[in-house]
Amino acid sequence: MTTTLATLRGLSVSYRREGAQTFALRDVDLDIATGGRLAIIGESGSGKSTLALALAGLLPPEASLAGTIDWPGLDHVPVAGRDIGMVFQDPGSSLNPVLTIGEQVSEGAVRHLRLGRATARQRALDLLARVRIPQPQAALAAYPHQFSGGQRQRIAIACAIAASPRLLIADEATSALDMIVQAEITELLDTLVREDGMSLVFITHDIALAAKLADRIAVFRDATLVEVGPARQVLARPSQDYTRSLIATHIDFSAPRLIDERA
Amino acid sequence: MGEPFVTARGLRKVFHSRGRDVTALDDVSFTLARGETLGLVGPSGSGKSTLARVLMRLIEPDAGAISIDGEDWLALRGRALRQRRGAIQMVFQEPLAAFNPRATIGGALDDPLRIHGIADRADRAERPRRIAELLERVGLPAGFAQRAVHEVSGGQRQRVAIARALATRPALIVLDEAVSALDVSVRGTILELLADVQKSDGIAYVFVSHDLAVVRVIAHRVAIMDAGRIVETGPTPGVIADPQSAMGRALVAAVPRLDFGRDDGA
Repeated sequence: MTTTLATLRGLSVSYRREGAQTFALRDVDLDIATGGRLAIIGESGSGKSTLALALAGLLPPEASLAGTIDWPGLDHVPVAGRDIGMVFQDPGSSLNPVLTIGEQVSEGAVRHLRLGRATARQRALDLLARVRIPQPQAALAAYPHQFSGGQRQRIAIACAIAASPRLLIADEATSALDMIVQAEITELLDTLVREDGMSLVFITHDIALAAKLADRIAVFRDATLVEVGPARQVLARPSQDYTRSLIATHIDFSAPRLIDERA
Repeated sequence: MGEPFVTARGLRKVFHSRGRDVTALDDVSFTLARGETLGLVGPSGSGKSTLARVLMRLIEPDAGAISIDGEDWLALRGRALRQRRGAIQMVFQEPLAAFNPRATIGGALDDPLRIHGIADRADRAERPRRIAELLERVGLPAGFAQRAVHEVSGGQRQRVAIARALATRPALIVLDEAVSALDVSVRGTILELLADVQKSDGIAYVFVSHDLAVVRVIAHRVAIMDAGRIVETGPTPGVIADPQSAMGRALVAAVPRLDFGRDDGA
């Protein structure tokens, strides 16, 4: 039996700009299954990142929120960092440049799990090994700039899962990476979520990545939820024209070439 | 067909970083015909952007030669170089960073016309007409000339970047991840615009990308880069169907497949 981790009902997020109210999300009904993998797909301005921030309780103070987010799968209101781990697009700006990797990865465990220094250090070491950072012992004392973009994203993932969250939200976590590293990070997320039984919300503009990782897909456009359903169904039998156009405009090896062959 | 339009031979570039030597380009050679697109594909750090910048003469190589239209491109200096620069233009990944944020679109397009003397200095009235033509060429209304660069969408801004590149009537445009930052639905229309411009004007492209699927759509030939070297080159469909290098195989495997829900027209 599947249980529900989170239930969103009539969720709207709006901002006042120059006297006018603009909606970043409008009247969204959505469930997140415990242990499920939900992909949120959308283009710029679709509201997909606002949804991530709303779930994590990280909306800026000027945002006004209507509707409800309930957490039937938890016995308390979730705390970002403890119950919800987040991975963002740019690990260069989500990691602190002047703290060692060891300090940053163990911070979540120290703060939320009340681990002592030595235990937290051991946990950081284990986490770095889990996200496959080479020579994790040496990495503890190193700084973010000493790692490549892909390795920094692995470290950011280690930070996000340090307190054993129930929900991992990855917001365009692979978009800034090259295709090969993107494939590696996607696989890492897949493994971690499976091993720890975490729920995953995977936010992306890339419908093929969503297809690879998610069991459910929710399509957003202009602050509204266009359609949601099992991944296979949304991709094979989309109910909305917008979803069809997203699938049709996706470029993979079967997309038509735009040039004539040359002699 | 005579001599290739662009011939690069034995290009080498070493950067010195934190006491270490990093070989960004290692004996890189390729040719490009008029009206042809060469895709440059590789992971981050493989040297593809360095190669693009060497071609633009934004970076000088340590060794090697580039001939463009039969002329020794690396030997050009001063006035002669400035005069020829108009023939080679560049479009970058992030159009917002590629413009003066305070410029109007018309101003951004006027700069190359003025600098390269395209529209005659004596006839100032010619330039607004040229700007309107350029905007129309990239599918934007002439009224956009009055708007600020930051007011328009990312896709429209990239169209302006292409219009700016076209202003000097170039024979070669180097596109460095030019569609990577765009929304999926916009990406296809920009690729169509590029293909269309190439067909009508016979412009050659060097199309730099980490995404082999996008390169397959637009590039006649592809060169795969790994650690500063071109490790494989050939017609794009052939390289994708049967990659010979380890990096070629890795890049093909990294493209996520949307393998259901669409009729395969390929």
